Amino acid sequence: MATKVLPAREPRSVGRSLLLTLPIALWSALMFAPIFRGASRPDRIAEAATGIFMVVLFFMMMRTWSTYRWRRWFFVAMGLLFPVGFIHTVMVMRGTMGIPIEEMIAGRTPFCFLPIPLLILPAALTKTLVFPGSILPNGGMSGGGMAAMAALWLGITIVVGKGWCSYACFFGGIEEGMASIPAKAKVRKIDPRWRYGPWAVLLAMVLLSLALFEPAYCMWLCPFKAVSEYVAARSTVGMIQNGIFIVLFAGLVIALPLLTKKRTQCAFFCPFGAFQSLFNKTSVFDVKIDKTRCTPCVLCQKSCPTMALTDESIAKGETLMSCMKCGACVDACPKDAAVWHIRGTEVAVKPERARLMFLYAAWAMAVMFGGRIIAGGLATILHLFV
Amino acid sequence: MAAPFAFGEALVLGLASGPACVASCGPVLVPSLLAERSGLRVNSRYLSAFLATRLLGYLLFAAVAWEVGALVALPSSTRSLIFAVVHVLLAVVLLRYAWSVGRVCDHVCTSTELVTIGGAGKHRIPGAAVLGFHTGVSLCPPFVAAGVRAAELANVLAAVLFFAVFFVGTSVWFVPFAGLGWVRRNEAVTTVARMAMALIALYYLYAGLATLIRKSTYGY
Repeated sequence: MATKVLPAREPRSVGRSLLLTLPIALWSALMFAPIFRGASRPDRIAEAATGIFMVVLFFMMMRTWSTYRWRRWFFVAMGLLFPVGFIHTVMVMRGTMGIPIEEMIAGRTPFCFLPIPLLILPAALTKTLVFPGSILPNGGMSGGGMAAMAALWLGITIVVGKGWCSYACFFGGIEEGMASIPAKAKVRKIDPRWRYGPWAVLLAMVLLSLALFEPAYCMWLCPFKAVSEYVAARSTVGMIQNGIFIVLFAGLVIALPLLTKKRTQCAFFCPFGAFQSLFNKTSVFDVKIDKTRCTPCVLCQKSCPTMALTDESIAKGETLMSCMKCGACVDACPKDAAVWHIRGTEVAVKPERARLMFLYAAWAMAVMFGGRIIAGGLATILHLFV
Repeated sequence: MAAPFAFGEALVLGLASGPACVASCGPVLVPSLLAERSGLRVNSRYLSAFLATRLLGYLLFAAVAWEVGALVALPSSTRSLIFAVVHVLLAVVLLRYAWSVGRVCDHVCTSTELVTIGGAGKHRIPGAAVLGFHTGVSLCPPFVAAGVRAAELANVLAAVLFFAVFFVGTSVWFVPFAGLGWVRRNEAVTTVARMAMALIALYYLYAGLATLIRKSTYGY
């Protein structure tokens, strides 16, 4: 039974906040400082600005006891700057956002984490990776190769579970930014059955990928092809594919978040998100509802960007497995009933310690991964002016 | 050239092709099985209906194609046309099936009846049967491989028998799917299955229509 009462929400002292921020500051210095050697001026400015940005955000998380709004700054910045850096790179290397078939045949297609669940069954049954990329770096746009991304994904996911969707996904920030623009949602009533959408897309895409021997989601349904790259539209099929990507992006990533103030692509469509939900069962961190404090006012439910809280789950004292660990519900709860939690410990006993442990892991990963993306995008912009 | 019918050859070809058959039929089979009620008995009935009509599709096509001498000589454009029509019909059936599931009672219902589609009263048939038939005539690569071999046989009866034994070999790989009956059914599972069916149906609809339009516009 939870007995500990959380302290009142006076800001944490500056000294203590700085002390708690120190590990992240040191980590940021480690991540960004080596780049200063031999880098151009715009790169140095971008790296420094990003490092400071990440440290300041973490400091504010410590000072204000809240997580969501500071994390959101980082996430939106990553979502907006990733396409800037990525599109610039593809334009420099290829002169087009369309992937020529020759690049795909040569295995130089860059690999993102989204097709990971689609590759498992074909790989297990036929020892074949149904993605036109390379396991190891292969020049061109292949980046670090599929193995590097898969290893990064696995390492992060084991620790933070579906927290990946709040700290690592370089696409989610776009719709999170869109969702935060309106003051109020114009569409408030959403049929809760739409929450099953990601699982349906996952099931359909996994089965079609096995049947067609191609990453079906990448070929047909990925909305983020509109802001990264896509198969060159040299045929009617290519034009249809690109049309689908644009429509899905406009609808799920721009329009619906503006109307509902929810992360609609993540909550109702993303198959990778559904796959990540499974890892919430293995992650040591989660969010719980202290039933002794809960009234229930359901402010947590209304604030959740992915509808991961229902009346039933609140009554049970937990979130659904689709919880992205963004911290919105914890920050919204007026009774401090929604709390961060470490598996195996009592609910609401030292929740701030649980939050800190989670944030150190998640933010360290965010600095390393998302910080690089932000710095890259920023450097691209600065190169135009400096 | 006629060749003696080899029981073992048909069976081994079926066993070797089974995984490809399962992969091809999976997008139709898995969501529709999940949309049925839970229980090994219900899912076994579904699988039986599915496989029986799949066999019917196999045999019907084998008999007709052998009679018209088309099993070997079937041009790829004709084959793709048949594929396209089957895909469009499959898409329509899948969508209808997904719609029909919504009107069936959920997990609290103890009936072992399969989800049916069609008009009212006695015109309704199990969706499993319709879907199985469509996958049976879908001319997947293993089917074509068996067809080429069967075309060399002496008469239509031998060809049909070859296909029947080939079918048995492929069907061994479908048996484990009855285990989906152990998956607990609730609103979440049924809704996911229906949505997945609709998505897959849209893909088949696109694939079929694109081929038909290309054929009518460009002739190939």
